[in-house]
Amino acid sequence: MTKIGLEIHLQLNTLSKVFCSCSTKQVETPNSNVCEICCGFPGSKPVLNKEAFEKALKIALALDCKINRVTFFSRKGYFYPDLPKNFQITQYESPIGINGKFRGIRIRRVHLEEDPGALVHKGSYCLVDYNRSGIPLVEIVTEPDFKTAKEAREFLRELITDLSYLDVYDKKSDFGLKADLNISTTGAKVEIKNVNGLKDIEDALTYEEERQSREVPKNSETRGWNAERRITVLQRTKESEDDYGYITETDLPVIEVSDKLLKVIKDSIPELSKEKLTRFTSQYKLSDKDAKVLSNNKRLSELFEKVAKQVDPEIAAKWIIRDLVNQLNYHKKTLDQANIKPEYMIDLLKLFEGKNITDNTTKQVMIKLIKEKNFSPKEYIEKNNLIMQSSNSKIEEWCEQAVKDCPQAVEDYKNGNEKSLNFVVGKVMQLSNKTANPDIVRKILVKLIRK
Amino acid sequence: MKAKEYVEKVKSREISAVKTTKGILNEIKKINGTYSFFNAISENLALELAERIDKNPKGKLAGLPISIKDDLCVKGVETTCSSNILKGYRPPFNATLVNNLIREGAVIIGKTNQDAFGFGSFNVNTDMGIPKNPVAFCGVSGVSPTYGLVSRYGLIDYANSLDKLGPIAKYVEDLELVLDVIKGYDFKDSTSLKQDIIKEKEVKKVGLIKETLDVDPKIKDIILKKLDEMNVEYEKVLLPKTSKYALPSYYIIAMAEASTNLAKYCGMRYGQEGKVNLPFNESFSEVRTKNFNKEVKRRIILGTFTRMAGYRDAFYLKAMKVRTLVIEEYKDLFKKYDLLVSPTMPIVAPKLSEVNKLKPRDHYMMDVMTVGPNLAGIPHMSVNAGFYDKLPVGIMFTANHLNEKRLFQVGKGL
Amino acid sequence: MKIDRKILQSVASNARLKLSKKEEDELLPQLNEVLEIFSGLNNLKTDGIKPSFQPVEVKNIFREDKVNKCEEDMLQNVKNKEDRYFKGPKAI
Repeated sequence: MTKIGLEIHLQLNTLSKVFCSCSTKQVETPNSNVCEICCGFPGSKPVLNKEAFEKALKIALALDCKINRVTFFSRKGYFYPDLPKNFQITQYESPIGINGKFRGIRIRRVHLEEDPGALVHKGSYCLVDYNRSGIPLVEIVTEPDFKTAKEAREFLRELITDLSYLDVYDKKSDFGLKADLNISTTGAKVEIKNVNGLKDIEDALTYEEERQSREVPKNSETRGWNAERRITVLQRTKESEDDYGYITETDLPVIEVSDKLLKVIKDSIPELSKEKLTRFTSQYKLSDKDAKVLSNNKRLSELFEKVAKQVDPEIAAKWIIRDLVNQLNYHKKTLDQANIKPEYMIDLLKLFEGKNITDNTTKQVMIKLIKEKNFSPKEYIEKNNLIMQSSNSKIEEWCEQAVKDCPQAVEDYKNGNEKSLNFVVGKVMQLSNKTANPDIVRKILVKLIRK
Repeated sequence: MKAKEYVEKVKSREISAVKTTKGILNEIKKINGTYSFFNAISENLALELAERIDKNPKGKLAGLPISIKDDLCVKGVETTCSSNILKGYRPPFNATLVNNLIREGAVIIGKTNQDAFGFGSFNVNTDMGIPKNPVAFCGVSGVSPTYGLVSRYGLIDYANSLDKLGPIAKYVEDLELVLDVIKGYDFKDSTSLKQDIIKEKEVKKVGLIKETLDVDPKIKDIILKKLDEMNVEYEKVLLPKTSKYALPSYYIIAMAEASTNLAKYCGMRYGQEGKVNLPFNESFSEVRTKNFNKEVKRRIILGTFTRMAGYRDAFYLKAMKVRTLVIEEYKDLFKKYDLLVSPTMPIVAPKLSEVNKLKPRDHYMMDVMTVGPNLAGIPHMSVNAGFYDKLPVGIMFTANHLNEKRLFQVGKGL
Repeated sequence: MKIDRKILQSVASNARLKLSKKEEDELLPQLNEVLEIFSGLNNLKTDGIKPSFQPVEVKNIFREDKVNKCEEDMLQNVKNKEDRYFKGPKAI
């Protein structure tokens, strides 16, 4: 039976590093956001970033962990050029949270630690940039509860979505996500170390599950992910566990998590995606598919909920969840980039709901909203005479003109080709600058042609 | 001349700080070739600071020449901890203690020699650093304050949970003056204390630690004589757990912590540089093997051993628990006694030829008097109590956390 | 508890120190002598005793999440550098 467990490392979105005040921003120049502390110079000392601790605590609470009310840091010793002190400050005996649960998967522990630097391998030597060194990392360790790679992938996606709801992790910074994957299909434990980014983690899981069905591993081994070749490669077989010689980091005093702090952090946790999903289907009567799209996208769900307060949710769902998302994809923009004001969306959809503008106009104005900022749909529609025309006399005029202009299509329709009516309708829309109410246009055309 | 008088004379411009500094620098240069007291002489920095003082004589330590032990970072001045592995290292920052000294007008003259990374009992210095045995062997005074009273930021770590910084000087008044400048909360050292020294200084009752009198009878006599002169009520007290278990507990914690602190020296980033055209394990091993001395290696190996998976609970964790019991034992005595008294060292200063015959375990045993207070983080002060065959004998007073004023009160009276 | 040659070798390699056979011979008895002193701790009962990580209790020390740029160049102490990177030995 396949058993998969994940050790997930996420960079927290704090402004400064976990133990010093250097910026966490990604910059071009190597070793420019560094100081004696994150470079591990002798005599320098760590001071814990409050925000980093509280964000880690928030994650532990959101994952339903039991919180260690007294927690402290340890030194994990191993030598490597990217590790400035040749030990990593992490948590060992007293992680912030233990024994949690998320989406049915047991969480073994959640703890806070420092990221090492970044290496560039240059054949016979290496280059090291410590800009990354000291960025706060939260490690989330699951029990080996996944039975398939697919389960693990879905779990990860939901986890990442929820962490972006918690405002602890920047979903866009895919480089801020790393994982060690433990996959065993036969009992021999295979660990794939240090896979970067969601896509590679997913591919590594899929690849390894398939590989182990072909070549059954006999011994426990550590493998690496080759991102170019998209395969895992053997690094070493494991005879014994690594000995990190953990001791307490006595430069950092213990932290006591008070009832008060616990309550403040608990209260700051927003509704997570699963609760959102349930609420969307019941409150707005959305389909499962629509509700899922919304619950996986924080910005979109915020926009939707604002609009659905003033416009029929069914209309809001059609336009926001389906049409807006499609148009954004087509124009290669994210909702963040488009930054559409909810009021404008409400104005637009209210006009549509009141049958004041056509489908077509709604769509065109929405595209304009994606492309342009500071653009009021209402003013635009009024100024350009885009209000839907339902007056029979006006529409009759356009229809008569259209019948004259498209004799062939009219003839075809008369001969039984129903579809050719659309061509004539299109002509009317063109003549009316897309403002004619299409339902009325059809009725009048049919009447005119059958005369 | 006591420091205070000197500082007053600098302030009234009777004494020129530049002149004093130049004189001292010349003196050091003359003798340093023979005795190697100094690892680095910070001539430019010293003259710059002295000139500043002569122009504007301000600060509690205006113009006072102070040497810094080589395990404290002074920006731009070579800082090596007397170890080859840090050769050439110029820290890009000052230790907080150094900033505090400069702020109050002190003139930093150089970095004094020590055993590599503070390991070992026999060294000579009269300065600022971790005061231990040299105080007793040289017949000067030194105070090791409450753990956390003086910021450790910029002190090249030996054992983070044991390291304390304090002054060494000829007069107790000078110790008090300098401690006043270097103490205080520092946000850069998370273990530094927000509380200040307690005001109470009266010493009514003193406990003489019975177990520490099991030394050379002549040393014992000198201590007892000194106590009688002091004219305070004293009685013998017992510290059974501390006298048996403080030493192993201290050394286990010290070596375990030191072995992690010393991991950072691998030939990258600062100090001695390693070969880059080798696999990292070989390159690191080569630099470390070549540039750490025997004693440092011995301690790294012992420290690494005591924190290995199978031994960690029996050694490292056990030692941390024993520390709790040692602290409790002291605290119990301080309910009844204002100060505790013992010799500073079990022997008088040995000759170099004798030192060379000692085994590692004998070396560690030399610290038997000071490990208890250091493990418990309580303040202790050593002053000269007399002479034995012309060699100085130190008497050590120990007080409860933040009770330094009591130490100074007694010390000034001697 | 005793350190034998095999343990000594594994500890030394863990600490990235190379020892010659002669150094091992010299170290083994010295280490075991010190270890004997260390083992003395076993005579003291510590059941239910909390460890003291620092001698004076301090807790909950934090800094605010504010950026403060360091003006010093951390590369100033090395010759082994390239394009603002630290240069190090082969890492794979």
